[in-house]
Amino acid sequence: MIKAGQIDKGMALLIKGAPFVCIDREFVNPGKGSAFVRLKLKSPTTGQVLQETMKSQDNAEEITVEDLDFQYTFNDGENFHFMNTESFEENEVPMTSFPDYQLIMKEGETFRCTVWEGKILDVQVPSKVVYTVTEAEDAIKGDTVTGATKFVTLETGLKLRVPIFIKQGEKIRVNTETKEYLERVNG
Amino acid sequence: MNTDIETIKARSAMYRAIRDFFDNRGYLELETPSLSSTLIPEPTIECFETAFINPYRAQKSFYLIPSPELFMKPFIAATGRSVYQICKCFRNSEQLGFEHNPEFTMLEYYTVGYDEKDSIGLTKDLLSAVGIKQEIETMTMDQAFQDLAGFSFLECQKPSQIRRKAYEKGLGPFGPESWEDTFNRIFLTFVEPCLSKDHPVILTDYPRQIECLAKNDGLVKRRWEMYIGGIEVANCYDELTDVEQIRDVYERETAILSQRLDTPIPDTDPDFATKLQGMKPCSGVAMGLDRLLMAILDKKDIKDLILFPFSDMLT
Repeated sequence: MIKAGQIDKGMALLIKGAPFVCIDREFVNPGKGSAFVRLKLKSPTTGQVLQETMKSQDNAEEITVEDLDFQYTFNDGENFHFMNTESFEENEVPMTSFPDYQLIMKEGETFRCTVWEGKILDVQVPSKVVYTVTEAEDAIKGDTVTGATKFVTLETGLKLRVPIFIKQGEKIRVNTETKEYLERVNG
Repeated sequence: MNTDIETIKARSAMYRAIRDFFDNRGYLELETPSLSSTLIPEPTIECFETAFINPYRAQKSFYLIPSPELFMKPFIAATGRSVYQICKCFRNSEQLGFEHNPEFTMLEYYTVGYDEKDSIGLTKDLLSAVGIKQEIETMTMDQAFQDLAGFSFLECQKPSQIRRKAYEKGLGPFGPESWEDTFNRIFLTFVEPCLSKDHPVILTDYPRQIECLAKNDGLVKRRWEMYIGGIEVANCYDELTDVEQIRDVYERETAILSQRLDTPIPDTDPDFATKLQGMKPCSGVAMGLDRLLMAILDKKDIKDLILFPFSDMLT
């Protein structure tokens, strides 16, 4: 048992018998009152998002999870399919649990995953990842305005705004949280 | 570090508008200390403690103020003047997130001869002066409870009654706790998240069980809180001026504070109530200016308008 005040983003908890991962936490002292935490929790199995308000001193049940490596193999439109890189066991996660992750996870790549009782609770995607540009419009000749941008598509299907000089086939570094362009990667 | 020039200019313009607003109405701008050797006993607030050192005498504890009221109120009692101040305030422990920075900027304004209802009108004019022109929705806390939680807290005055309501609404189980804590569980779960985010909302007539330096009025206290965009931005009291009653609140809160186990217990001033002797009827408002700026600029994260966010220094 831990105190609700100790709960942090990313922590796994058992709420009324079901596992949830804390995705947001805000402390609040209503009207100068005692400390409460407002939690946003997500069920990794159903994708359901739950709001819970607890007093900082309330007990909470943290669950023991382990971090294991999984290869992302593909998605079938409903589930992400992963394979444990040691045991080669298959593991499915509903895509609703990790919205838009198909746009930032490259097929065949290995990710560190948080696992509880055989279920993947969290997939840790690095905050900066290099992707290949698969579709890009040609820059309009003579367009030399500083800061001019255009849209490109990456190998994962992610569309984002980049500087005008980026060409098809080039590699760029992207912030996976904001899905924003960071820089061009040479070589 | 934030270097967004427009945000910096907006903060400066907001300060200027606030100063013009109060200067034109004859309020005195005060500058009181950030360090104090005593604090008002507030068991729910954790403080930053430091020490004054001198090689030739014993060192003395000092605290960064969580609010300038402990200096402003004795000044009002002594002079009878309406006053305001913009200053840094400090609250320790857990005060991090989208709406919190442990060091933040507060505006406090006290109007002699006003009660908390008069302060609503003044605050409405102040908001308009800084560019927030929507209508303010005002309702009593009990009305908000009836509308959003489905019952009247005025009819649930015992801890057992309000606990029963909490359980009926699916909260709990939780351990033994004060009436106030159960009230706040229900408030934070069912009432506060459903307050309108389109316009400012003022909740008046807080339960009398929540201890503070506001006047009692039957089952409620004459105070209000204002929410903008769903975030608590200001707190107002019809200030308690009766020295005996102030002393009673002080003693009860000091007793609760002294039971604190794991964090510093600040020294309190046993003569504070006496320093408010002769204070005229007065209403005071404390407003978080970082949060007000969030409302003006429609920002969702307080870190976006603080040049050097505290959390960046923690890593």
